[in-house]
Amino acid sequence: MEYLLHLLILVGIYVMLSQSLNLSAGFGGMISLAHAGFYGVGAYAGALLAVHYQVPFLVAVPAAMVLSGVLALVVATIALRTIDDYFIICTLGIQVVVFSLMNNWMSLTRGPLGIPGIPGISLFGVEVGSKWAFLLLTLVFVAAIFLFLKKLTGSSFGRVLRALSEDEIFTQSLGKNVYLSKVIAFTAGAMLAAIPGVLYAHYISYIDPTSFTIDESIFILSIVIIGGMRNLWGSVIAAAFLVFLPEILRFVGMPNAIAANMRQIIYGGILIAMMFRYSKGFETHHTKTA
Amino acid sequence: MQIVNNIIYIFIVYLLASQSFSLIYYSARFFHIAHAATLTFAAYFTFLFSRQLSCPVWLAVPLAVGWAAGVGMLAEIALYRPLRRRGASAMVLMIASLGLYVVLQNVISMVWGDDTKSVRTGEIRVGREFFGAYITDIQITTIVVCVGLFVGCVVLMKYSRIGRNIRAVASNPELSNIVGIDSDRVILWAFGIGSGLVAAAGILIAFDTDMRPTMGFSWLLYGVVAMIIGGVGSNWGLVGGALLLATAQHLAAYYIGSQWMDAVAYVILILFLMARPLGFSGKRLKKIEI
Repeated sequence: MEYLLHLLILVGIYVMLSQSLNLSAGFGGMISLAHAGFYGVGAYAGALLAVHYQVPFLVAVPAAMVLSGVLALVVATIALRTIDDYFIICTLGIQVVVFSLMNNWMSLTRGPLGIPGIPGISLFGVEVGSKWAFLLLTLVFVAAIFLFLKKLTGSSFGRVLRALSEDEIFTQSLGKNVYLSKVIAFTAGAMLAAIPGVLYAHYISYIDPTSFTIDESIFILSIVIIGGMRNLWGSVIAAAFLVFLPEILRFVGMPNAIAANMRQIIYGGILIAMMFRYSKGFETHHTKTA
Repeated sequence: MQIVNNIIYIFIVYLLASQSFSLIYYSARFFHIAHAATLTFAAYFTFLFSRQLSCPVWLAVPLAVGWAAGVGMLAEIALYRPLRRRGASAMVLMIASLGLYVVLQNVISMVWGDDTKSVRTGEIRVGREFFGAYITDIQITTIVVCVGLFVGCVVLMKYSRIGRNIRAVASNPELSNIVGIDSDRVILWAFGIGSGLVAAAGILIAFDTDMRPTMGFSWLLYGVVAMIIGGVGSNWGLVGGALLLATAQHLAAYYIGSQWMDAVAYVILILFLMARPLGFSGKRLKKIEI
């Protein structure tokens, strides 16, 4: 039972990550491989604030979001000068730079040694100790992010995003500020990614840079693509599927060492298959949203 | 003196990696991420033939190059060609390639394990002294082979029929089809030659620093960085790009520490993308294709 709860918490974290990426990648058409970087920035910000300054959780979350947002703003102004495949390459570069900072800035992050001893969360004096309580807290955040994104993407801003991901020049001709909308969507996605970062840091109580690598970015992007671009419920289902996949493989009798690789082979394979579905472009397949 | 020596060695390897990658990019116009897996496959095929099947090295190396080229060509036939026929954009092809990379890299981990494998024979020697710097025999071999392959490839592209066809398809695929050049066939050739070149690079790297299933990715990305700096389809551009990258990385390693080499490479990449936002496509905004 404890293990099942652990998996459900992980599902919650990946749901938040993939939905925040869905805002920029799905709705805004900005496919980014830097999402694990923002997740990591959130986790490190939360961990360092808690360990060194005993900052309470509810203060650390907005602080981490602001930090991640400022970084995303800088990144967006640079990376959004490019589009499509060059944008992906650019975000890939940013992901590697962020990872490199986490891994080598010894005085701040302790590099590969990681940050141990991150305290648990206490809300208004109540310790969130058990797995049940933590799951509940995670679900609250999942629901909050879900509703926020649902509202945002259903608003006029969401329509601008959808329009510009299909045809930027046309959107511009309607008098919409394409560049600004993209910067906002990208920054908002990155800020939301900081939330699961803080939760993860408190939950695992130890973080090191290996949790925030380029592979993690590819994994989050895979969830978004497998679940369907612009499809928020799809991201929920895909996150659950991919987190439970190794357990399913173990259940059918696959050894531990192979199950981990097999999971990646399966999601790589599904990613390829999805590209056949999306081969005419991500825009022409309108999935129902909002 | 040692630093000059290292720069020359790394420069030559980058040159071969970026040439192999840009040959494919030049003709097929998308980022073939799974190229990284081809590099790794070549190293592991060498291990397979020379260690596990105990072939002599002179036989194992060409076999490995051939098989790795086969992997690249198979990817083109089985994945990219059908996707292209369905009208996939460069970005869709790139994500499919990302999926393929995940699959292939995990196949390697599953078959050969995650630990470091070696194809080196004998103990590690200090190397020869050369103008006051040390260089190993394998590094000398690498430099000679890589320069040979680079020059050979330049000549091939300029004077042979295949090379002329590749250049024709790169400059205008439709027109080439009209005058009777089968662009699919030409792209297949480009994949074969490019994969063969990167296989040579992978094997030489494996002889110098052993192999891990994830080794290909960073080399591929250095190749991409060198290509973006230098420009696609320009041999001297690649030389300049690889030289600039190798020099900047080693100077950074010398002055601020070798752990920042990766970050430096990507900072250079991001700076170049800022200066030339859309690489070579010339597009500034995304526009729907009718």
